[in-house]
Amino acid sequence: MVLALTPVFAFAQGFQVNLGGVKQIAMGSTGTGTLQDGASVFFNPGAVAMLPQNYVQAGFTPLVFDSEFNPSGTNATYRTANKIAPPFTFYGVWGPKSACWKFGLGVYNPFGGLTDWGNNWPGKYALESLNLKTFYIQPTLSVKLTDVVSIGVGFVYNRATINLTQAVPLANQQGQDGQAVLNGTGKGYGWNAGIFFKTLSGVTVGITHRSGVSTDFTGTALFSVAPSLQSQFASPNGFTSTVKLPSTNSIGVGIYPSPKWTLAFDANVVGWDVFKTLSFAYTVKSANTNQSVFPQNYQDAVSLRAGAQYQCCDKLALRFGTGYATAAAPDGYVSPQVPDADRVYLTGGFGVKISNHFNVDASFEYEHLMARTQTTIQTQLSGTYETNVYIPGIAVAYHW
Amino acid sequence: MLSACKPSIDTVKPAKAVANLNLSRYISVGNSLTAGYADGGLYLAGQQNSYPSIIAKQMQQVGGGPFVQPLFSADQANGSGYLKLTGFNPNGTPVLTPVTNNLAVRGIISVPGFGNVTLYTKYTGDLNNYGVPGIKLYHITYPAYGDLNGFFERLLPGNSPTNTTTYLDFITAKPCTFFSNWLGNNDALSYATSGGAGDVLTDKNTFAQLYNLLIAKLTANGQKGVVATVPDVTSIPYFNTVTTGAILAGVQAAAPSVKAIYINALVSGSTYAPRAATANDLFVLTFPTSKVGQLVSTPYGMLPYGLTPYSPIDSQYVLDEKEVALTLDYIRSYNETIKTVAAAKNLAVFDAYTFLENVKMNGLVIDGIGLNSNYIAGGIFSLDGVHLTPRGYSIVANEFISAINAKYGSAIPLANVADYHGILFP
Repeated sequence: MVLALTPVFAFAQGFQVNLGGVKQIAMGSTGTGTLQDGASVFFNPGAVAMLPQNYVQAGFTPLVFDSEFNPSGTNATYRTANKIAPPFTFYGVWGPKSACWKFGLGVYNPFGGLTDWGNNWPGKYALESLNLKTFYIQPTLSVKLTDVVSIGVGFVYNRATINLTQAVPLANQQGQDGQAVLNGTGKGYGWNAGIFFKTLSGVTVGITHRSGVSTDFTGTALFSVAPSLQSQFASPNGFTSTVKLPSTNSIGVGIYPSPKWTLAFDANVVGWDVFKTLSFAYTVKSANTNQSVFPQNYQDAVSLRAGAQYQCCDKLALRFGTGYATAAAPDGYVSPQVPDADRVYLTGGFGVKISNHFNVDASFEYEHLMARTQTTIQTQLSGTYETNVYIPGIAVAYHW
Repeated sequence: MLSACKPSIDTVKPAKAVANLNLSRYISVGNSLTAGYADGGLYLAGQQNSYPSIIAKQMQQVGGGPFVQPLFSADQANGSGYLKLTGFNPNGTPVLTPVTNNLAVRGIISVPGFGNVTLYTKYTGDLNNYGVPGIKLYHITYPAYGDLNGFFERLLPGNSPTNTTTYLDFITAKPCTFFSNWLGNNDALSYATSGGAGDVLTDKNTFAQLYNLLIAKLTANGQKGVVATVPDVTSIPYFNTVTTGAILAGVQAAAPSVKAIYINALVSGSTYAPRAATANDLFVLTFPTSKVGQLVSTPYGMLPYGLTPYSPIDSQYVLDEKEVALTLDYIRSYNETIKTVAAAKNLAVFDAYTFLENVKMNGLVIDGIGLNSNYIAGGIFSLDGVHLTPRGYSIVANEFISAINAKYGSAIPLANVADYHGILFP
């Protein structure tokens, strides 16, 4: 007997995290066209050479992704566990005071997702939990060409991890589902480049391109099913998968109406169009474990952001911002991994100058993904998703 | 603050959900499918996952009344006994082992003029699920039926063979406010599962007359309800698992010269004649394929069973092409009756015929579960190849609920199919 029950692996549209730096988060995650601190390594490598100082800084932005699902035709609601994803940032920027160049290094998590729906919800055969993390490590060189314009380029090495669990619809004698657990690590390479203008009118402008990063995963798949079926599910099995993380093109401006005020605007186009399918190829192939191809069919997404900073006094800056982003997942391709939808967010925060060389910044972001009623074509999982994201952040910076 | 900001999707409020339905006393009328029969028997775990009990559970979320089933007790949980999957043979065929402990059998009596009837521990008390395994629509006005069917007898106060209460009187003795009715399957299925040899199809006009009578009584006080059509017998794995091709291939593996499998097939009326089997002849799931090729005594001497026109496979093991067509003709007529009566009485209809036909043709994907009509692997049908798994029953329950909601504008919530398991594998 051949079981015609291929486990349905439908992990993960990548999920862009947009937590590049705490000051920038507080200002609506703007930063392409402004010059704040070492986070320019991420926001605009072209701006790094314009930074007035050298920086070493670290930020931590724990993120809670709180999704709710209401299956179509029911009164039931299911909610992701309140697990905290831990994105962090590290930036270092250094160059001789007199030189026209600066070297930068950034470590940050531009994509990731942590959704844990548990093993007791209607979509458990599509997904129980997903934990995807990316760590981009980016050495950067930036050169000030004139007092007006600087450019920069960075090389990106991505180190990624994935953990995915899914129920397999084959019950044992106790009526318990089978389980599939995938654990893998991946790596990929990319680059980015930017240009930054300090115009004579005082307005600053930045344009950047962050390349896509095709990330190759290898890992181990564990299947546990009823003993009489176990021989049909090689376990442990190996898998390989390539995930195409998208490119981002950004343009931003900074406007300075008074010495105390900074206004920043960013527009981004994220090239999600590359993420059309996702496939896992298993090392030991069988009728049940061969290759799984999952259509994602993403389309390019746009985000618009605005933020402001008010420097109350020498010691304290207040910041706030907002933004809007369009969904990358089209109708029919929204799944529990990331219940993608158009989203709005509000941010706020402040920065305190502890000493001449030492700053502490804090931020909070509230993000709301609009309610979206969807039937995933592949799994026929049908219902309404609605999500809130809460992201407090804190960063410390030493600069000289 | 976090809890105040939690996403909160608006769901339907109960008062709106029931529209103008009165769900205070829902009863279910039907046969083994309604009783929760599975894996070749009626047992507690099957009863607890019967589709009417799932429907009732969903109704209760919007104010439906209590729903009582004639459950077997915990120490007699295995009821009539059933089949359990205990492994696979090297060739991949399943090993099914009968469960014979903790039964609710109280005795076997011989009813004159009928034969042996297995009797079960009596159930007394309130009742909402009137599903009786084995019952045909044909039986609902037969006063002695309570003496001949142990599953009905256990619901009645009297002991066989002293019963005179008809099924129709029994189910309508206490008024209901809403009903589901899925009678009629056995009027065709009993003929089909006996290979067209051990039972008869209920006459079409009799079916129509009894169906009208049944629905008239159930709706006597203007009750609303839902009825289901009779599935095509060829859409169930009982008739689609053991195929002519598979049997022939098995024989040819040992004896390549064999060119055909011979069956005793319907010619017309009640005339049967041997002929070579084709892919359109359906063998029953329980056909012991090991019999094929064994030498049997015939007027022409000892011949290998099933391999010559003089030693054809007995009619009881095969629903041949003409019998299939005959059965289908009757089922279509029954379903015309069901839909016509339902329309006249403004009842919701779950078209099980079309639904199972679609599953057979296209399979079904629900919440990431791939399902189809295949035996064991398909996930919908239980080990007997006729009745359903809890997952199959939950899907059927949702089809009933959807039909009710569509007809009456109600919003009874659907059940979570992923909460109900399919086949239990060892």
